[in-house]
Amino acid sequence: MKVLSKARLQAALNKLSDQNEVFVPMQKGSQSGYFTWKSFEDGQDELMLDALNVYQSPKTVVLPQTEKMYSIKNGGMEVNIDKTYEDAHPTIIFGAKGCDVKGILAMDEVFLTRGYADSFYKARRSGNTIIANACYEPGPNCFCNAMEVNSLDPDGADVILRDTGDNYVWEVKSEKGEAVTAVIADLLEEKEVKLPAAKPFTQKVDYSGVAEKLKDMFEHPLWDKLSEPCINCGMCTYVCPSCYCFDIQVKMWGEEGYRFRAWDSCMFEEYSREAGGGNPRGASKERFRQRFLHKLQFFKERYGTPLCTGCGRCMIVCPTDVNIVRIIDAVKEAEING
Amino acid sequence: MADQDHKCTCSEQPLVPTVVEVIDIIDRTPDVKSFFVRNVDGNGVPFQVAPGQCGMVSHLPIGEAMISCTWQEEQEYLEFAIKRVGLLTDELHQIEVGQKIGVRGPYGNGFPVEACKGKDMLFIAGGIGLAPLRSFIKYCFKHREDYGKITILYGSRSKADLCFKEELFELWPKQPNTEVFTTIDNPEEGWDGHVAFVPSYLEEVNPSPNGTIAVVCGPPIMIKFVLQSLEKMGYNDEQVITTLEMRMKCGIGKCGRCNIGSEFICLDGPVYYLKQLRDLPPEW
Amino acid sequence: MKEITNKIQATATKLFEEGKIDVFLAWEQQGEYEFQTNSYIARNAEDVKNIVFNEYSIYNVSNTLLKLRDGQERIGIAVKGCDSRGIVRLLEDLQIKRERLYIVGIPCPGMKDPLTAARNHGGFSKTKAEDGLAKKCLDCIQPNPVIYDELVGPEQSPRQQGDRFQKIKELEQMSADERYKFWEDTLSTCIRCYACRQVCVACDCRTCIFDEMKPQWVGRETSTTDNMMYHLVKHAHMAGRCIECGECERVCPVGIPLMLLNQKLIKDVGELFGGPEAGMQYVEGAKPALSVYRENDPDNFL
Repeated sequence: MKVLSKARLQAALNKLSDQNEVFVPMQKGSQSGYFTWKSFEDGQDELMLDALNVYQSPKTVVLPQTEKMYSIKNGGMEVNIDKTYEDAHPTIIFGAKGCDVKGILAMDEVFLTRGYADSFYKARRSGNTIIANACYEPGPNCFCNAMEVNSLDPDGADVILRDTGDNYVWEVKSEKGEAVTAVIADLLEEKEVKLPAAKPFTQKVDYSGVAEKLKDMFEHPLWDKLSEPCINCGMCTYVCPSCYCFDIQVKMWGEEGYRFRAWDSCMFEEYSREAGGGNPRGASKERFRQRFLHKLQFFKERYGTPLCTGCGRCMIVCPTDVNIVRIIDAVKEAEING
Repeated sequence: MADQDHKCTCSEQPLVPTVVEVIDIIDRTPDVKSFFVRNVDGNGVPFQVAPGQCGMVSHLPIGEAMISCTWQEEQEYLEFAIKRVGLLTDELHQIEVGQKIGVRGPYGNGFPVEACKGKDMLFIAGGIGLAPLRSFIKYCFKHREDYGKITILYGSRSKADLCFKEELFELWPKQPNTEVFTTIDNPEEGWDGHVAFVPSYLEEVNPSPNGTIAVVCGPPIMIKFVLQSLEKMGYNDEQVITTLEMRMKCGIGKCGRCNIGSEFICLDGPVYYLKQLRDLPPEW
Repeated sequence: MKEITNKIQATATKLFEEGKIDVFLAWEQQGEYEFQTNSYIARNAEDVKNIVFNEYSIYNVSNTLLKLRDGQERIGIAVKGCDSRGIVRLLEDLQIKRERLYIVGIPCPGMKDPLTAARNHGGFSKTKAEDGLAKKCLDCIQPNPVIYDELVGPEQSPRQQGDRFQKIKELEQMSADERYKFWEDTLSTCIRCYACRQVCVACDCRTCIFDEMKPQWVGRETSTTDNMMYHLVKHAHMAGRCIECGECERVCPVGIPLMLLNQKLIKDVGELFGGPEAGMQYVEGAKPALSVYRENDPDNFL
């Protein structure tokens, strides 16, 4: 098997950064997320490849928080769209865990299928290579195994790394994977190493049947109780590796400007507010219900797989301790009357 | 709903609009204007629209909104009837003929014109809701032999708020085997027509459900009561079609705003049989 | 802690049984770990047994009052020092009526941060952060409730040591360019999740200025400009109103030092307008410093 010794990790990242923008999980000051290897500052930042995960997910690489779409030049009666800002420059996500990779695959389903392919997402994704990190030790909040994620062999990864202590086993999975492997070929060795034993999941979650059961639970009273603590802050949607809802807005300075898209959240009140003032989801409970039904039921109905990937981030960042696992459990136990 | 072959203006870049020219603007009511657009070079229209489909109309420096295309006249123009309700529509109402704006489309599944062939058609509309139905009505008149009796029942707040008056009072009643009923909410000087809300007028007129398809569009509260009336009159869920409305941003089923249940209204809708709506969460 | 929990439960039960309240707001523990606490609305005497006050009950319960402001329910509420200042904030802003509230005051011994504990437990940090008192509690100047109908627990002393505005003065010493760079670097990391706004009890506008589209005041982009505008506008709305509960800084996912902005405003408002700090005492009819016009208000900036 191909192996990359950890002593050579920095050299490998440097080499890959020559031609690609390499994103690694990092603790950068007080921020925890995926940042470029080039921005790593020794002494200040910390590489988090051997930690469980980081707060912000790698979805920022293919769906950035803010993204310019096209330029607008306005002149009285005339208006012009000069440039569209598709960006296919080569990027690498290095060290993504299975839950995060699944998040990106779910977004591929949304943005690239069903009639239209979003050209901006498509460009970024085509230039993107995913080097996943197989996860042998699930954390106490992890439940990706219940959400159709294979943490040891994540689907959709171009290369899979396996951490054996001193080395990473480098497993090539696709053509894109071959291409990046070629870049660091001289840093890899051929040898046999023992793979670590996979530790069991401590959090037991049973998702089976939940999507079907939720079909009849739209008006169920449990949403009142579950949504009470929620303050609709939107943090869960921002750290979630598979939340993708966006807003399109305009930025103009006088006659010139551009249209851009930015992350949006179904938690915000103005998300479904219509121009005439009506709002089908004006109450906090309705938005709360929409988020969880989308994650656990609607997406599965439409695309065949749940949108929650079991990474556990939302449970850690929520200021009022809303917990999706408790919600799944509550749904399983709920009684449906007639 | 089945995956369809969607062809939009710039199918490679579905979020980028095409710039078109506004060749005419007609006032329909105090707050509704019809905008006629055509390609900038004078030839043709940016895309072909089936009845019931919509386009994303943008005044580029301000924003975009999903507007149903009320009629496509061959390759001459696309007509959008736009009501002034918010930021963007306010600005649009102030532009002049010759202004360049952006459109992209066609979006949505359109009305099932083929499946309705041979049936009697009952069109029920309120306020600006006549605009999307008008594309279907005009299509029926263009292919008159394909459809049976056509009944149009339309109501608005006041006489001034009735859209498309010329068609309502002059053109459409003259069509063969066609009846047009109009009503306004409150009595008014100069109006000697019917006075009632649309649902109660509908029950009064009482068109038979035999072999009829009812197509409903209007404010949500009107749709709710009309659907109840239709049920009372004996229409089953497969005979009733309506169009849904949600806030839309991308128009191509990605941004998530118009998501109800597992459907995206902009992509899978906005036209639905009542039977399909019963399967969705009751947020519409 | 257990004692206080028992006292709160006893009071709540009594109030329910006497029919004096319709809901009681406090905290509950939802999981097997102590740090899994969140806000809780008890709706009858049965629910009272879920109420818990432990060392992670840091959440500002007065924020939950905002959910109930339009109703008619009579509300029992358990508050710590900072939370009670939040109640004063809402009373002054005329968001809720005093007659609806029965306030159980808890002099606070200092809380630990459940978000830090969750992060350590969840495996998202390599070096486990210290499990001591939360940062906001180390700077506490008012652990004892300022408004209450009954008090449970012994009085506590403020924990703030040294010069309260030390950090602010250090920032003030920097040159304008240095200060600008400091804020530019910090605020550009903001991901505009709006958690700071949602968790803030002083943010009680029905339609927030940042949700307005006609016109849109601040763009949605996470460019430095828009981020700085968001924070400057939000915190300017806090001048003379912020009750220094520190929740905004605690919940921020990217660790922006928001309390620096708030404390600077507290210092400035104190110097310019004097008077008691926001939320420190409830006097009926009192208004925040910037909502009152007096002839001798400082105006050397005019």
